[in-house]
Amino acid sequence: MSILVLKRAAIAALLVIAASVLTFALVAAAPGNVAALIAERMAGPNASAELIARIAADLGLNDPLPVRYLRWLGDAVRGDFGISLRSGKPLSVEFAERVPVTALLLFGGGLIAFALSLGLGIAGAISNGGPVDNVLRTISLVGASTPNFFVAAVLVITFAVTLNWLPSFGGSGPLSWILPWATSSVLPASILSRVVRVNLQDAMSRPYATTGFAKGLTRSGVILQEALPTIAVPFLTTFGAQFALMMVASMVVETVFALRGIGAFFIEVIRFRDFISMQAILLLFVVFFVVTNLVVDIVCMLIDPRIRKAAGA
Amino acid sequence: MSTASGPIYEVGDLVIDLYAGNVSVRAVDGVSFAIHPGETVAIVGESGSGKTVMTLGPLGLLPEGVTVDIRGRAQSGGQDLLTLGPRRLSELRGRSFGVVFQDPISALNPMKRVGPQLAAQARRLTGATGREARQAALDLLKRTGIPDPDDRYFRYPHEMSGGMLQRVMIALALAGKPKVLIADEPTTALDATVQAQILELIRQLQREDGIAVLLITHDIGVVSRVADRVIVLYAGRIAEEGPAFEVLTAPIHPYTIGLLDSVPDLRKSIGEPRQGIPGVPPDQSMLVPGCRFAERCPKVEPRCRTHRPPLDQVRGRAVVQRVACPPQLRALREMADA
Amino acid sequence: MTELLKSLRTWPWHIVAPVLLFVAVAVLAPWLTPYDPAAQDYMSILQGPSWAHWLGTDYLGRDLLSRIIGGARVSLTAMSIVLLAALILGVVVGSLAGYIGGRFEVVMISAIDIFLALPSLVIALALIGIMGPGYWSMIVALTLAWWANYARMSRAVVVAELRQPYIEAARIMGANHLHIFSRHILPSVLALVVVYASADAGALVLAIATLSFLGLGVEPPTPEWGQMLVDGMGYLEDNPALVILPGLALTLVVVSFNLLGEAFALSKVPRPARGLTLSRRRRDRAKEEAARAQVEARP
Repeated sequence: MSILVLKRAAIAALLVIAASVLTFALVAAAPGNVAALIAERMAGPNASAELIARIAADLGLNDPLPVRYLRWLGDAVRGDFGISLRSGKPLSVEFAERVPVTALLLFGGGLIAFALSLGLGIAGAISNGGPVDNVLRTISLVGASTPNFFVAAVLVITFAVTLNWLPSFGGSGPLSWILPWATSSVLPASILSRVVRVNLQDAMSRPYATTGFAKGLTRSGVILQEALPTIAVPFLTTFGAQFALMMVASMVVETVFALRGIGAFFIEVIRFRDFISMQAILLLFVVFFVVTNLVVDIVCMLIDPRIRKAAGA
Repeated sequence: MSTASGPIYEVGDLVIDLYAGNVSVRAVDGVSFAIHPGETVAIVGESGSGKTVMTLGPLGLLPEGVTVDIRGRAQSGGQDLLTLGPRRLSELRGRSFGVVFQDPISALNPMKRVGPQLAAQARRLTGATGREARQAALDLLKRTGIPDPDDRYFRYPHEMSGGMLQRVMIALALAGKPKVLIADEPTTALDATVQAQILELIRQLQREDGIAVLLITHDIGVVSRVADRVIVLYAGRIAEEGPAFEVLTAPIHPYTIGLLDSVPDLRKSIGEPRQGIPGVPPDQSMLVPGCRFAERCPKVEPRCRTHRPPLDQVRGRAVVQRVACPPQLRALREMADA
Repeated sequence: MTELLKSLRTWPWHIVAPVLLFVAVAVLAPWLTPYDPAAQDYMSILQGPSWAHWLGTDYLGRDLLSRIIGGARVSLTAMSIVLLAALILGVVVGSLAGYIGGRFEVVMISAIDIFLALPSLVIALALIGIMGPGYWSMIVALTLAWWANYARMSRAVVVAELRQPYIEAARIMGANHLHIFSRHILPSVLALVVVYASADAGALVLAIATLSFLGLGVEPPTPEWGQMLVDGMGYLEDNPALVILPGLALTLVVVSFNLLGEAFALSKVPRPARGLTLSRRRRDRAKEEAARAQVEARP
């Protein structure tokens, strides 16, 4: 098994390297001179050629691309991502402040999505075509189709503006996390509950489900004891994908709720065209996606005895 | 094979309609039969003849995705299975009826180790606790002839062979000490050499426990080896029913005759052409009057196409043999009279 | 023609109709809007519904109804351009990779895999960051973020088709590459990819709205639902309709596209008969049974 894990990890590492090259190349190929842009930020539109040249030299922009790439990657690995043009602070400091915010958002929302989708999916499967199933199917379709910024707006209008129960902005105590968590969990919970429902339905049409009935289990018993364990792999795979997508959603959620996380920062630096920060954040994203995938793969390997066997062989 | 105690399971006038997508099928069309403790009854027929639907339907064991309408009676232990709610019915499954399916590889949950699954079953059905349940599971594995039960206990289904898995399946069906064992094509998915072992195992367990076995099969060889009685099913109806020896050696219904003729017989010379049954089984989506076999029957008469043939007792035989073919019964009577 | 009419009758109209309605509104928008969606009127700012402005006005006195109708047109146009461009790019790259094979195919597959490893919106955002925000940079960015999936599918179809014996037959008969490709392979590629792409339309409408919401897509004063929504966020207490109506319009459109996609996916799955169908079939069965009994009761 460890061989397969190592193989997967190696592929993941390759993917990170490939994506980092791509990220670096994209930004390096960006129209306009980075040094000129920086100079413009520092000295206004009439920055002298001298200043531009000095900045280019400082940043090593005159070196050949491979040298610049290796230097950038080497620094990044050591935790030095450069200085943000947007905030003027080292990116490592920005990350240290912002990563925990995004992590809290993702883990809270992810946890809600995990529990909610399992509960709703199982309830739908037990109802099987009944009113509960139909209502849940409609909810999950609407939930999967509603833009998260609209979800956020509706929640703010309802709970903050009209009822005045919860703060409409994040970062002000535990209560302020409820709306961001709820917003970021709607989409993954909708999609995941569909996945749970559909896979349970598929499992219930398998011979082993019939065996479960033959053993004397009731329908709910078969769903919980026979069908549920077999959907672990598709569920976790989709959960991993959705968890990764929550990082994308965090850009919107953090922007709407004024949370000082990585997602909102990414949007800020794009607007500001802060290439140095963009590069660093993109690298962070790539690592996050690849690691999420890797973790899901390894967990699936540990859970499914069939994959485990294939891995051991 | 004592029939004095009365039937352990009795089905009367069973009608089963299936609805799925845009198909409606009358899978079982008025079937009655009974099975007694210690008896092995084989239900024989082509695929689609309704043998599986007929046996698993009353137990609520048909796959999801199909709407099932059942009418008639299905009595066991003073209860009618068809009037029981889903919960009461589920209590009978496993306890009164054990079921063994065709393909053990897909019928056993791939995520469950065999031993703990058996132990859980013993806990649930017999009220055994932790250590007892584990011991019961090991005993079941031993009884079903699984070598080295202690090692197999923690195996997953994909780590075992088809024959071993079918033994596990049988152990699982027996965990609740059922009175009737339903075996749905238990050997079809297995290698020829393993088939005989599994059949012998079922026979042996039956002798030990005195349970009734309802064996669904399309394999005449299996029937001749283990069955006491045979029910021949055609298009959802019983064509012929009787003791295995009589039905296999002196079949009366033209369908049974055709079915037996199509079995390869090594004693016959290889060059001799085998008789099959011409035509194909009827479309069971439409209800038409008359005998379902009429279209393919060599002995067909005009009345066969308009009137359902009753399942009548063959007179002049020492055993109970019933045949749904008036022309053949009449011919027999005329021969006896002559 | 009769074939077409016949197939029309079997269409799931309750699923197709909302999408057609959206397209109709988008196409007819210039004739449907009571006002110019961008026309400001400082005499009627943040008004509620009235006869003059059925849905009220925004903070610049623009007519909300006109802006929502105009938004449909902007959304549909941008979505169609991106979908078409991504489709063409994906089919061309994927087909070439599958058809040419060799080292070219390996390089292309790696490129496709890298694009697929990252969420589309992240790719789009990165590209917008480099090109700078704006309508066309959004279009280009979304196209580049969306093509990889179609390329992967096209390649798979091409590789499968090339194994078919009739391709070999065509080659032996002397057909040239272009002929083989356009006559034999392209139709099967398009058949699959177009269906898949139509199911993607909802996600794309959502992506366009999200980018515009973040201020990185369609720019004011062009009416766009996501951007209208973010504009309205500042006036939640004055007129929540400014946020709710564009959001609802957006959600309805995405729901109808997603329903369409789901209908495609489910069209081949058999399901148990239920409700009216089931009771009708039971009635039919009972009638048949009675008729049969009548025939069999005759002497």
